[in-house]
Amino acid sequence: MRGWRLPLRLAWRDALRSRARSALVLVMIALPVLGVTAATVLIATSNVSTVEGLDRELGDADALVAVREGVDEVAQAPNPDDGLDYDEDSGTALTPAQLAAALGDRPLTEVRQGWGMLRTDRGATDAQLTEVDLSDPLAARLVDLTDGRLPRAAGEVVVNQALADKGYDVGDPLRLRGQDSPESVVVGIAESSRVRSEPAVAGLVGSLGFETFDTSRTWLVGGGPMDWDEVLALNERGVSAYSRTVLEDPPPASEVPSEVEVYESSTDETALAIAALVVTMALLEVVLLAGPSFAVGARRQARTLALVAASGGTPAQARRVVLASAIVLGAVASVGGVLLGIALAAALLPLVQSFTSSWLGPFQVAWLPLIGVAGFGLVSAFLAAVVPAHLASRQDIVAVLGGRRGDRKPSLRSPLLGVVLLGVGIVGAVLGARPGGELLIAAAAIPAVLGMVLLVPVVLAVLGRLAGRLPLSLRFAVRDAARHRTRTVPAVAAVAATVTGVVALGISTSSDAAEARATYAPMLPAGAAIVSTLGGQDAEQVRTAIGREVPGAEPTDIRGVRDATEEQYLEVTVTAGSDDWLLSSSSSVLGSSLLVGDELPPLLLGVDEDERTSAARVLAAGGAVAFTDRGVRGDEVGVRVARSDGMTGEPIGRPVSATLPAVVIDVDPASTGPVAVLAPAAARQMDLEVTTVAVAITGARVTEEQEQAVTEVLAATASGQEMYVERGYRADGETLIIQLVLAGLGALLMLGGTLTATFLALSDARPDLATLSAVGASPRTRRGVAASYALVVGFVGAVLGAAVGFVPGMAVSRPLTTMGGETCVITGSGSCTPSGVQVGPFLDVPWLLILGIVVVLPLLTAAVVGLTARSRLPLVARLS
Amino acid sequence: MSAVLTLDRVSRVHGEGASAVEALKSVTFTAAAGELVAVMGPSGSGKSTLLTLAGGLDSPTSGTVTVEGADLGSLGLKDRARMRRTAIGYVFQDFNLIPALTAAENVALPLELDGQRPRAARAAARLALDEVGIGHLADRFPDDMSGGQAQRVAIARAVVGERRLILADEPTGALDTETGEDILQLLRARCDAGAAGVLVTHEARHAAWADRVVFLRDGVVVDESGSAPVDALLDAGQGR
Amino acid sequence: MSVRQALLALLEQGPMYGYQLRSEFEQRTGGTWPLNVGQVYTTLTRLERDGLVAGAGADDEGHVVYRLTEDGHGEVATWFTTPVARTQPPRDELAIKLALAVTVPGVDVGRVIQQQRTATMKALQDYTRLKRSERGAERVDLAWGLVLDSLVFAAEAEIRWLDHCESRLRRAAREQSAAPASAPVQEEAR
Repeated sequence: MRGWRLPLRLAWRDALRSRARSALVLVMIALPVLGVTAATVLIATSNVSTVEGLDRELGDADALVAVREGVDEVAQAPNPDDGLDYDEDSGTALTPAQLAAALGDRPLTEVRQGWGMLRTDRGATDAQLTEVDLSDPLAARLVDLTDGRLPRAAGEVVVNQALADKGYDVGDPLRLRGQDSPESVVVGIAESSRVRSEPAVAGLVGSLGFETFDTSRTWLVGGGPMDWDEVLALNERGVSAYSRTVLEDPPPASEVPSEVEVYESSTDETALAIAALVVTMALLEVVLLAGPSFAVGARRQARTLALVAASGGTPAQARRVVLASAIVLGAVASVGGVLLGIALAAALLPLVQSFTSSWLGPFQVAWLPLIGVAGFGLVSAFLAAVVPAHLASRQDIVAVLGGRRGDRKPSLRSPLLGVVLLGVGIVGAVLGARPGGELLIAAAAIPAVLGMVLLVPVVLAVLGRLAGRLPLSLRFAVRDAARHRTRTVPAVAAVAATVTGVVALGISTSSDAAEARATYAPMLPAGAAIVSTLGGQDAEQVRTAIGREVPGAEPTDIRGVRDATEEQYLEVTVTAGSDDWLLSSSSSVLGSSLLVGDELPPLLLGVDEDERTSAARVLAAGGAVAFTDRGVRGDEVGVRVARSDGMTGEPIGRPVSATLPAVVIDVDPASTGPVAVLAPAAARQMDLEVTTVAVAITGARVTEEQEQAVTEVLAATASGQEMYVERGYRADGETLIIQLVLAGLGALLMLGGTLTATFLALSDARPDLATLSAVGASPRTRRGVAASYALVVGFVGAVLGAAVGFVPGMAVSRPLTTMGGETCVITGSGSCTPSGVQVGPFLDVPWLLILGIVVVLPLLTAAVVGLTARSRLPLVARLS
Repeated sequence: MSAVLTLDRVSRVHGEGASAVEALKSVTFTAAAGELVAVMGPSGSGKSTLLTLAGGLDSPTSGTVTVEGADLGSLGLKDRARMRRTAIGYVFQDFNLIPALTAAENVALPLELDGQRPRAARAAARLALDEVGIGHLADRFPDDMSGGQAQRVAIARAVVGERRLILADEPTGALDTETGEDILQLLRARCDAGAAGVLVTHEARHAAWADRVVFLRDGVVVDESGSAPVDALLDAGQGR
Repeated sequence: MSVRQALLALLEQGPMYGYQLRSEFEQRTGGTWPLNVGQVYTTLTRLERDGLVAGAGADDEGHVVYRLTEDGHGEVATWFTTPVARTQPPRDELAIKLALAVTVPGVDVGRVIQQQRTATMKALQDYTRLKRSERGAERVDLAWGLVLDSLVFAAEAEIRWLDHCESRLRRAAREQSAAPASAPVQEEAR
């Protein structure tokens, strides 16, 4: 430490003196620290641990106990939700009276919780239902009354604000959807302790009339702490307990019954590796962004360092002077970043709360991870200063004291190492270009990027040599960039690393999207929509809803044999000659796999007019239309319909079958049409019950609002069907969002790197600008020079980064878009025969994104820099 | 002989109020075509101020500065910049070459800034470098040159493009006497060829290269070789 | 400055007659120190007497040619290797004039200095002009160049000395006028 005192003092003064540069470093390091800190705090806060959630589950009670029908002994983990073991039908459960006796003089009150459907003004909604005596002190804190009063008798309920927003108000009857729901009326608005934005209802036991789903009953228990021994004693009588005391202070593992031992979830190695990769890349980026400032700082201190060396300082002492400023700035940035991050998190809490459906936990600052985050900031500052410090320690003392630049000639070693690293990265990416190789590719990206960083000086030197033909400002910027390598390289590398990431991720996401687009199989003709009616129960309601919500639509009934009910299901087999299967798979979106009609129903995919005509002819003649994706031919098919019990799979009745004249139509393997269409006469002949199985909607484009409206209406019908609208392939919002986020983040980091380098270059070039002015440069030359700097840094970085980014991007698109193995066709015997159709890999390069980030963004940055740069040239900076 | 540079009762005050320093006090000065005028004086005598005013890098507090008939005070920033690249050549003590540009590019700078095509500018620069005897160094960078070579480049830059006023601020300050004399020889030759030169120096040996030597003391011209001496010397000293 | 040593040094080049010696000397010193032929011959006679030179007969046109003797060679070598003594400063009229000027009342010392400086500057300009023409000549006569330089530096030294005198005088004047004030006026640090 003694050797550090002087360097630290020098660093502190230097930081105060060159405020702008210090601020730059502080921002570069503090911003990521701040962001991660805020995120950490917000996640810790919104993550409600079991202990934090106790009040929400228990209110003022000490435990929640449960008995199960037919169970007289249980083994439980400290938290019964983590592990509960019992034998069903092992004995007789305690009666409520016995339970009360078992609990001694502890007060208790029954509580029932579950979910149910509520009718709303428009349709229906799911709601959390709670039955408990809310006036009981034990249940007191389960709800928080905001309006009206608490229920005092059965038939009175309170609803939460989320439900009130859906149209319920004090005084309204509660419309529960169910056969024999009790009549209840809303008497108050109260927030539930457990859910926030989802509808919730609470009332006295019996008010909501729901059956608990697993025949268990639960009670809130008060009367003081319930310790682990007491819980174990209750377990012996078949009662499980969720005890506040036990959860707050869990018993040692040795006291937990072995059958419910809670295993620590093993750390996911892949997740760990990914985290390591992300941290490494982030570190690299921050180091590269902060690097230029330290490089400039070291160069400004060159004379001091040379004097230190001339008066006997060792290279290590010279290094310390530079490193000390990293420590000072890194420490300030890290601590400041953490503190500001915590403040930001506190400020953001209300916003986060408004986006989450549950209540956030108490504001929580986990100091240990935050120390890690701060350490990250300090380490990145330190690393950013390592190279400048090293270079400063081996500068040419004589040259510096003589007023010349003391940079030693760059060694050939680092570019060679760069080539090697780049090679390693490429080889890694190539090796990883197979299913499951994603992680290897991501890991290989790090040596690739590092190698690229080492090659940046070479690229700059070459550019400097080629710059002779460029216009003055650009030539000046390129040459100056090449001359001040220590400053330019990290900035260019920061931009390049950013672009590498953006390009690689951009290629992989858009290849992913390309795969999804290429393998997308539409279920209906584009723009059409369908609502299945589950055996025609709701056909009328469906038609009405469509008529009301989708003006101009033509609803067409699709008739067929009802596929499946709750009790039984239908098995339709179509044979042609010796072929006993015509379709490799079947899943009909048209309401049933066996349709009936005089002609083919609308919305069938892959059927042309000729086929429709011939199909109509066969159907008119009482025949059948069968579909095949296997090229089966024949003018006669056997149709066999069997019914089985939905629960047991036992056959019901005798299968019916018929051999019918038929036309076989080729369809796509991924087709989602029916297996066959029968003529009404044929259906009658086979004694099949024909109903409206679905309603097809054609003739109008169904908008998303209309779809939602219809869906809400349909939620209120008996079968609660949904409407399906074929809108073709739609990039799920995720891809677009990812690309936008990528572009945005990339732009931000690029801007950061570019602006840093430009700012530092301009302040470094003051004397040169003064000279330019003295020989007659007009004021706007400075703008030109500033813009040129930005352009050089941004453009060189972007081109390099894009080139390197293609490697992992293209590599990772292979494992991402290749189907595991080959697609195969299930044969009749159920085995998989390769179809010979290799799906993927898909490669889609998002040229627009790359063009934007490689060409447009640097130009834009340059334009912004050029327009905002001060245009006044320093006039007599050098003359006085 | 026509006056290329005229300073008419020029004063320049740096700073304001109590800390104001009068660098030049009503100085009248001319430099004619074909004439090299040396301005001598100790540091702080105002000789550098005189040069920055003549070069349009600074504006006088009062009085007028005229270069080739144009009143610099009445020109805007842009036009003054244009004057600097077309009419006035500047040579500094520490050369002030731009390290990122080659010798030829440094010399071509005023021409390029004036909008000449790079190729033509570069050709003119090479000629100018030949003239100062270092044509073979055209593609070197300033960092790779000796002080004398760098100053020759600076002179080439100051004279390129037919500029008729050359302002040199201690051009030999950083050079040894031999190299310094070569540089003065170049300046002298340029003036003999018709340019007006102003050479600011504190060394009599260098001032002796001039046709006329002006002595500055505390912002006042106290003496001029060849002209009648000024009485104000001791008064100026006592008046402070 | 000794004519004796200069003639010996010239003879080191080879035997010469009197007139030849004079022109050789003037070529090297650019006529800065004019030498008359009579002086050359008297010196030669004395040198012959001291045994440093010896007559070497006459050339085709009848000029008496002199050459160095062994002793003469030795004398030349000794002269070159012995530094010029500065123990006795040459009597300097200017220094004496200024020394008197500051002590004698009623003399405007500043004016004396200014006039002197202008005059010395003129001389310096003349020397420089000579140097310029010398530089322009095809064959650079190194010896003459060096002598010119010596004059240039001497004149420059004089101007610097005058500058120094001037600033000392001004400081003295300032201190005199500021004497009643309690705090000494500091030299301005511009």
